[in-house]
Amino acid sequence: MTTTSFTATIQDRVSRIDTMPSIPAVFLPLLELLNLPPENVKLDEIVKLVSYDNTIAAQCLRVASSPLFGLAKTPDSIKGAVLSLGLRRVQTILLTCCLGSAFPAKNWPLEPTTFWRHSLGCAMVCRKFSEKLAAPDGDKAYMAGLLHDIGFPVNCMVFPKEFAIATANATQAQIPLDEAERATMGFSHCETGRALAEKWHLADDLIQVIAFHHTPELSESAKPLVAMVHLSDLLCRMRNMGYGYYESRKVDLANNPAWAILLQEYRALEGIDLVRFTFELDEAAGEVFNLVSTIFGASAAAGKS
Amino acid sequence: MTTAPQTAPTKTEPVDPVYRQIRDLVYKVSGIYKADEKLYLLADGCVRRMKLMGAKSPRDYWDHLTANPSRDGELRQLLNEITIGETCLFRSQPQLDAVRKVILPEIVVEKTKQITKRLRIWSAGCSTGEESYTLAMNMMEESERLLKGWTVEILATDLNDRSVETAKAGIYGDYALRNTTDYYKRKYFTTLDEKKLQVRPEVKKLITFSRLNLQDDSKMLFMKGMDLIFCCNVLIYFDGASKAKVVNHYYTNLNFGGYFFLGTSESLLNLNDKLHLVHFPGSIAYWKPSLSSGKL
Repeated sequence: MTTTSFTATIQDRVSRIDTMPSIPAVFLPLLELLNLPPENVKLDEIVKLVSYDNTIAAQCLRVASSPLFGLAKTPDSIKGAVLSLGLRRVQTILLTCCLGSAFPAKNWPLEPTTFWRHSLGCAMVCRKFSEKLAAPDGDKAYMAGLLHDIGFPVNCMVFPKEFAIATANATQAQIPLDEAERATMGFSHCETGRALAEKWHLADDLIQVIAFHHTPELSESAKPLVAMVHLSDLLCRMRNMGYGYYESRKVDLANNPAWAILLQEYRALEGIDLVRFTFELDEAAGEVFNLVSTIFGASAAAGKS
Repeated sequence: MTTAPQTAPTKTEPVDPVYRQIRDLVYKVSGIYKADEKLYLLADGCVRRMKLMGAKSPRDYWDHLTANPSRDGELRQLLNEITIGETCLFRSQPQLDAVRKVILPEIVVEKTKQITKRLRIWSAGCSTGEESYTLAMNMMEESERLLKGWTVEILATDLNDRSVETAKAGIYGDYALRNTTDYYKRKYFTTLDEKKLQVRPEVKKLITFSRLNLQDDSKMLFMKGMDLIFCCNVLIYFDGASKAKVVNHYYTNLNFGGYFFLGTSESLLNLNDKLHLVHFPGSIAYWKPSLSSGKL
């Protein structure tokens, strides 16, 4: 099959995702609000949006009280959460909660809990990276980490047989999953994720992350963000937040091309203590696992059956 | 000054924030990082030292570590406390996986053109031999596969004569064998009595145990040609300058393409910028780039 016909197949099949249970109605408007400068976003708009979905509001409050977000007391309303955590942070928490119900995890070839641990882990590492580098938008980085692999659930739903073979091959040969996807299917979650991201009209930088997080040098308009996600993704896979199988590989982060890309943008990267960063990441992993149970518990458990 | 009870917090209790300050100090000085879930181990060590020093509270003990004239000595004592008794066979499975699944295949390819197929491993600060035997058994597991036709030499050294003698005997009880599976116990040990197992002679044959002072520069020069060096919880015994010297010896003694492992919560800080920090699943190591890697 040629590349063009592959792309056509992907687009055709992804367009049929419409027939599947859709994402919560508040997700896309919330994501759009995240692209606006914070001063243009009104608290009332967020509260109104969230009031349509009580489950998500309740989940958001539970998540807001997790140690990862550093609040001593559980806020009693979305408004209260915004006052303590800030609008941007609450938006990202809400989006995380929404995403849990976006993909019905039934009979996935990939363990859903493992997938969400990786996605949320990567989101957390991206935010920590941003803090260390004093990057301007840690919440954008968080969203980028959270969404980078949305192509995997797409594969689970749209190409279940082919993707099952790819995951089995990756596990058996202990190779990266994207390599196994390309070898067995001719394309990877980067292409299917991109198709979905475009269908959802996500912002261009998020589309770039989803499409190029395995090849950051190919990104045109969002290189530093894509590079940050690339490194965070690798770190997660090396620290027990990968895809649930052993990847026989060595990762030299400081000599990775993505490191050089990020260094051009942020000189602070030079002074980062990567070992301590790794140890701190291990510390946060337990909390990420708890969050996954809180947010994705029901849908993740459904996938196990 | 407040008087806090001198008991260590348990796993579930919140810890005194001073312990986090002590954790950061310990990391800055030694590169050992006790993550939050292991902070109670650090607190435990502090409480033992507090009792001996007559410190009334963690804050009081902080002064012992930072303001008293004997602070350097006290910090050394604390490091001793928190690293003691950590040793057992198969202590770090992720390190062993990295060696067998990633590093050995790489070294075998790297050395493919060499006439003598020889792998040299150094367990520096081998204490009572647990790590050395673990490595030996794992290499023997590969002797019919990756390492077929290879000679494996393990050098195990320690400063302490008594430890070296205990290591040579290779006799271990339940505690040291808590991570050792029945498969390994049956294959590589003989039963001495109900509670003790002894390493079989064919495993011992792979290892040369000897006494070595890592600060003895003339002897360190003779440890050349290593493919792997393991040095777990040993560097804490050296101050800044001698630590840098020891690490430099390790660097020189490693072959190009060789790897250097520390304890699981230890790091080199900025002691050597020629070694590359590399991640494997669940473990980290330092790599001396191979000549073919183009990264020298």
